[in-house]
Order: sequence, then C-alpha cells, then structure tokens
Amino acid sequence: MREENGSKAYAELVGRGRVHRRFYTDPEVFAEEQARIFRRVWLWLGHDSQLRQPGDFFTARLAGERVIVARHTDGAIHAFHNRCTHRGAEVCPAAAGNARNFVCPYHAWTYRTDGSLASVPLDQGYGADWRSRVAGLGLEPVARVSSYRGFLFGSHAAQGESLETYLGPQVRAAFDNLVDRAPDGEIELAGGKTVQRYRGNWKLQLENSIDLLHPRILHRSAIDAADRVDHGGQPPSIEWDIVKSNGLTLREWDGMQIAAMPGGHCWMAGFLTKAIDENALQARYRKMMVERYGEERASQILAFNRHNTIVYPNLFVNSRVAQIRVLQPVSVDCTEQHGYIFRLKGAPEEMFEASVRMVNTNNSPSSIVTSDDHEIFERIQQSLAGGRHEWVDLSRGLEHEASPEGTNELPMRNQHRAWAQYMQA
Amino acid sequence: MIALEQWHRVQQFLFHEARLLDERRLQEWLALYTDDAEYWVPYAWEQQSPQDHVSLFYETKSLLSMRIDRLERELSPLDSPMARVNHYLTNVTVEGSAELTARAHLLFVEHRREEQRWFAGRSSWRLRPRGEGFLIAAKRVDLLNADQDQGHLRFAVPF
Repeated sequence: MREENGSKAYAELVGRGRVHRRFYTDPEVFAEEQARIFRRVWLWLGHDSQLRQPGDFFTARLAGERVIVARHTDGAIHAFHNRCTHRGAEVCPAAAGNARNFVCPYHAWTYRTDGSLASVPLDQGYGADWRSRVAGLGLEPVARVSSYRGFLFGSHAAQGESLETYLGPQVRAAFDNLVDRAPDGEIELAGGKTVQRYRGNWKLQLENSIDLLHPRILHRSAIDAADRVDHGGQPPSIEWDIVKSNGLTLREWDGMQIAAMPGGHCWMAGFLTKAIDENALQARYRKMMVERYGEERASQILAFNRHNTIVYPNLFVNSRVAQIRVLQPVSVDCTEQHGYIFRLKGAPEEMFEASVRMVNTNNSPSSIVTSDDHEIFERIQQSLAGGRHEWVDLSRGLEHEASPEGTNELPMRNQHRAWAQYMQA
Repeated sequence: MIALEQWHRVQQFLFHEARLLDERRLQEWLALYTDDAEYWVPYAWEQQSPQDHVSLFYETKSLLSMRIDRLERELSPLDSPMARVNHYLTNVTVEGSAELTARAHLLFVEHRREEQRWFAGRSSWRLRPRGEGFLIAAKRVDLLNADQDQGHLRFAVPF
C-alpha cells in the first residue's frame, strides 16, 4: 500500500461484490482502520446502571485504548484515559468499583473522578510554573462522551455527528425496544461478561452475524444433536432452543427479513422457536407488560422481533433477549468478542436467569454454536494469507438489493461500503 | 478422618473419570453422572452462583449429552482434528460419609492443530455411592484463569 496513494488505494480493496484478501490480512490496513474508523465513530462503552452513585466507575476499552468511565460528585459522567500524566502508569487496575480519587500507584499523583489532578506529593519540586501547569495535567479526557437511553458511547474524535444521528432511527429503535421491554422502564447491566477470543479479523464476525446462509450448514452438528434430545415431556431449555433455532431450512432462512441502513448498520428478524414465547413464564411477563403499558403498547413492544441489530463497526444489539455483544479488535488477525446481559427491571427474575443460560451456551468459549464460527474464521484467516485468489466473493443477491431475500449478502456489502467511505474520507 | 481404603476408592474413581475423558469414551464418561447432575465451570473466581452470573460451562446431563452427541458425530469443525487431552489430578482429599465431597487440583493439557494449551484449576465432586463405586451428582472446576481479561479460545472437551 505504501507506494500507492494512501486512502484511494484502501477503498479499492472493496470491489463490486467482492473484497480483496488484504482487507482481512494486511496489518497496515488494520492500523489505518483503527485511525480512520474506530477513532472517528461512536463506540459503545457501557451502561448508566454501572454508574449509580457519585464515585462509581468502570474501566473499558475504546478503540484499543484503556479508559476509565466515572460518575463525578456533581453527577456528570466523565471518560478519560487510564494513564497517569506523570510517567504513564495505569492509574486504575480494577474493572469497576467506587472511588473518591484515583491514585497512581507509582508516585501517588491523585486524580478526582472528573479526571482533574487533585494532588501531587512534594509538588514544590516541580518548578516555579507548577501552579500554571496543573490545570493541563488532568487525565486526558475522551474527546466526546454521550448516551442514548442509558447506553454510554465514547468517541476519540472531537468533531463529528451526534450520537443520535450516528445511530439513526432504526438502530435507536433497537435500544428503545431493549429498554421498553422492562416493565419498570429500566434495565441494568448484570451477570458478568463473556469473552471469546479468535485468531481472525474482526470483520469476519461482523459479516457472519448477518450471514443467514451459514447456520443450517456450519452448525449442523449442534442442530442434529439438538434434534435428538428427548425432553421427556418437560418444556425445552433455553440452551436447547438457541441451538435448535439455527436449524431452519435454507428456504426458511431465505425467507427471513433483513435490512441494511446508512452508515453500515443492519438488522435481521428474529428466529428463535416459538417455544421460548409460548410458556407460562412468558405469559406472566406479558401480563406485567400489559399492566404497565396497556394492551396496545405492550403488544407493540413485544412484537418487535429482531434477532440482531448490528451497529457498525462493532456492536450487536439483541433487544429480544436483552443482550449486547461488542467486538474488540486486537490485531489484524486477533479479535475479542465481549458479551453482556441486561436485567429487565420489574420482569420475572427467571427471565434474567434464562438470558444468563442462553449466553453460557451461545457466547461462552465452550459454546457449541459460536465455537464453530470462530473455528471457521481462523481457517479463513490462515488460508487468505496465501494462494493465487486475490478476491473474496460477496456477490450473492447483488442484482436484487432493493428487495433482499434473507440470504442476500447486501448487509455485508453495506458494511464494506461504509468501510470504503471511512477509509477514503 | 476418612479411611485409607475409602480415599483410595474415591481416587481410583476420579482417575477413571479422567481417563474416560482422555480416551474419548464420552458416553461412558456421561454414564458416571446422576440424571440430576450439575456440571459447572464458573467464569468468575469464587463465583457464588450459576444462576445470576455467566459460566464457562453450566450444564445438566441433557446438555452434556447434546454436547457429546455433537462431538461423536464428528461433523463439527471445532473438533476436527480431534483434540488430544490429558487430565492430571493431584492433592486429592475426601470428606463426608453418605454423600462424599472430593477435591483435587487439576492440570489440563490439550493438543490440537499444532498447538498445546495448559490450564490449571481446582476440581470438586459430590459423589453418591453406587455399589462398589460412585455416581457424580455435581462437579465443579475452577480454572485459575477463568476470568482472564483477554478471554479464551474455544473449549471442545469438558474438564
């Protein structure tokens, strides 16, 4: 890439119905993606419910950089780099907690929960202009922080469109629905998180999550195993359901509704079996929703049936089951997928427990579903490194993007068109 | 203090379980579990409950059976080629009388696709006597790095 003319050359990696293999394998492309995409867009940081009290904080990663997100004594939420402005040590090693101050363990430079520098030992030793320098020695703030319905996002770019504009109406609807599904109108992040690591490019998971042609084929071993389970007259478990649901026929997958939106976002309709809707627990929950919202509004909320809403470049929102997954690219050929669960306030606790069990089965490193996906990503990553074929085919449905069938690769092309736009801008 | 013979019997049973896993005799392995057995590998260190927090594995016998069925059908790319595994158990202790609690330290080595991975952990079992032997009513494996920040690559074979 070096000898060519930078940004234009990157965009040429995305062709009509195909992408060049360097799109997945070139470390320079990866570095450029970090600068041009991940450092420009809004990225999900966490949720309001992690910061209930002043002093509450959590640490997170924003485009690969370690940041602290904290609620200050005045109630405002601040995000700043987890790096002492003195000698660069990590200031806060904890994943979450409550703190009055953040004290660097190396020389005890001490910061308030808004990131400002509170005190420095023996500060008379730093010269006559020390007083005037202190103001600039707070922890480096994240350029922008914003939230939508309690979902906190950060951006390294000081300028750019607002979070609401970035998400757009169809993505916002996914967040709205996740919150609205709580009878008390409030949700909380709970139950820990899963972290699956695979040695492949981050875009492979992004594409796979909207690839409706693969489940019946790749996940066949799990589907077949689910088919042979004898429930002994008992209602099936949520774990079974998430495995079994992949077993739609190819025709059925092709009949699913999908949508591609501006900015690379997309969504697909729900596909879990009816078994998870038609049981006593769901009936009890539905009654609570009707009491809270009235019949018409409750029906409307519960009828919102998307499996995934995929927020470019790295977030998957599963409103229907109150889960979120986020991709953390580590290097061109290594990615972490972090999975989180929300508790719907006012809903039966068993629903939260079912979400926990569903995540165990679907998003733990022991998953009998996504493990096969990650295995394939690693094989793709290895084989794309060599051979004579320069291009990867993504042409399925190219001629009928206006009314796409379920297995149309439109959403992937839509992701890649957004990629090309960011990379040449 | 537990009788030497009892301790020996439990230890032989645990070694037998490990060997069935190592030799891929997975149906025989599953037959060691009671119908209401619980198999649990927590995600957090000193995790209190599998109900309100995610787990690396939290499975009933039915789910374990589905997992094994899948591996035995040899259709999963995850398991082809098959992983070779060794389970090493040390520091075995036994408590209780009617229902026993056994504890051991675990070293788990897995070889697959030119890579060898090592895991250390602490295992515990609730054992119900059955004839001369036992059935496993519950097994818990706490990996020292269960909650490591960078996550884990995939696990195919249980611990």
